Amino acid sequence: MSLFGYLLMLSGWLLTLASLFLLAGVGQRLLFVAAGLAVELLGLGLITYRYRALQREAR
Amino acid sequence: MSVNLCLMSILLAPFAAAGLALIQQGLGRSRSAAHSMLCSLGALATAAILFVLVGSAWMGFAGGAAHRLHLAGRTIDWLGAEPLFAAGIGSSLSAGPYRALVLAYGIFAAGLAALIPINSGSDRWRLAAVAAVSALLAAILFPLFGHWVWSDGWLAQLGPLFGLPAFTDLGGAAGIQVLGGLCALSVAWILGPRQGKYTEGVAAAIPGHNIVQVLFGCMLALIGWIGLESATSILFYAAGPGQIALTLVNAVLAASSGCLAAVLTTRLRYRKPDASLSANGWIAGLVAGSAGCAQLTPVETMLIALVAGTLVTFLAETLELRLLIDDPGGAISVHLGAGLWGMLAYGLFAPGGASSAALLAQLIGAATLLGLLFPLIHISHRLLNRLIPFRVDADGDWQGMDIRELGAGAYPEFVLHADEFTPR
Repeated sequence: MSLFGYLLMLSGWLLTLASLFLLAGVGQRLLFVAAGLAVELLGLGLITYRYRALQREAR
Repeated sequence: MSVNLCLMSILLAPFAAAGLALIQQGLGRSRSAAHSMLCSLGALATAAILFVLVGSAWMGFAGGAAHRLHLAGRTIDWLGAEPLFAAGIGSSLSAGPYRALVLAYGIFAAGLAALIPINSGSDRWRLAAVAAVSALLAAILFPLFGHWVWSDGWLAQLGPLFGLPAFTDLGGAAGIQVLGGLCALSVAWILGPRQGKYTEGVAAAIPGHNIVQVLFGCMLALIGWIGLESATSILFYAAGPGQIALTLVNAVLAASSGCLAAVLTTRLRYRKPDASLSANGWIAGLVAGSAGCAQLTPVETMLIALVAGTLVTFLAETLELRLLIDDPGGAISVHLGAGLWGMLAYGLFAPGGASSAALLAQLIGAATLLGLLFPLIHISHRLLNRLIPFRVDADGDWQGMDIRELGAGAYPEFVLHADEFTPR
């Protein structure tokens, strides 16, 4: 699950980067960058969820 | 560029390190106080050496040699290509002191970033592992991001490359604070909570052992922050004396607003102001205010710091109680949380009126830190943890890091500490 989280975070950044190369308008880019950040946060959330589950098990 | 003003600013920067070191040892347990201070010295020493030997070459400086990548008709400057070991620094002085000043700045900036994770790993992080993480940060992570933002790298070149305003970090909110905060989160995850922190589903309060030192550390940190922010603005954004005076005013207002916001929030929530959270609010204000220190107006800086001081109290509680992350010094909420907020707030209040383009540039910087650097940091920390185990063994956790790793306590003539902590 952690690996999937890292991959999601990296995908979010690539989405951000792609918007810079492929799109021209600020509005479109802003939307794509926001989407990229959302994907990154999803990945971070997954890693957090995995950590929390491990801590609960350890107790 | 005023060389004298820049030198003076760089000379103030070690006070920030002294302040953070005092804060983190005061917020930790007394049985690990000497260890905490030694970790801070060790991190500073390792970061200084590794930055000069390796990091300075990869960070480079504006107008210096760099590795470039050609992509879709654009030339992306992604890494400095200066000589390793700071070779030729003596002969470069004839062309001006800029390279030497950037090197001096980088030593303290990388050192400060390396201090941040110690805060979240307090009371259980082994000295050798602290040195390894500091080395990684000063040799690779800080120079990489520093080059992108401050040495004509791709984030500084968003204008010529993509027709956007440059990503701006006037005082190190991203390059020092958020980067250090991400390392702090990674370290806290790898180490796990201190023994006795979570028992029977309840988080125990493990209070800091010396709040007076924590508050004194806040005052020292203010002096250091003024120096660090001024040096960053002079070196990388050609700030003049007027902007440095504004930086000074903004730093004082940011710290004050952040602290007052935390005092008020904790007074309203817990009926009495919480001293350690108020100290965190002070630093959070400084961190958030540093993103736009030499350009934003005092009122804008105060607003940003007020939000940061309030945010940090909620974030610290969420991390501890909901996400089960044991961060004794609040490094994650202060440096990562407030740093990210400061970066984005600069986009909202950017000089010349709010523009979605400025916000977009700041969001791209935030996305790069979170999406590219954090996985890199966390995976490399996990690999390092296999080579040099981060966490002290279970006995050492209770015994305290002073006795376990140093063989002597910080306060040998006092009878200290009980093992019982108050459940929340």
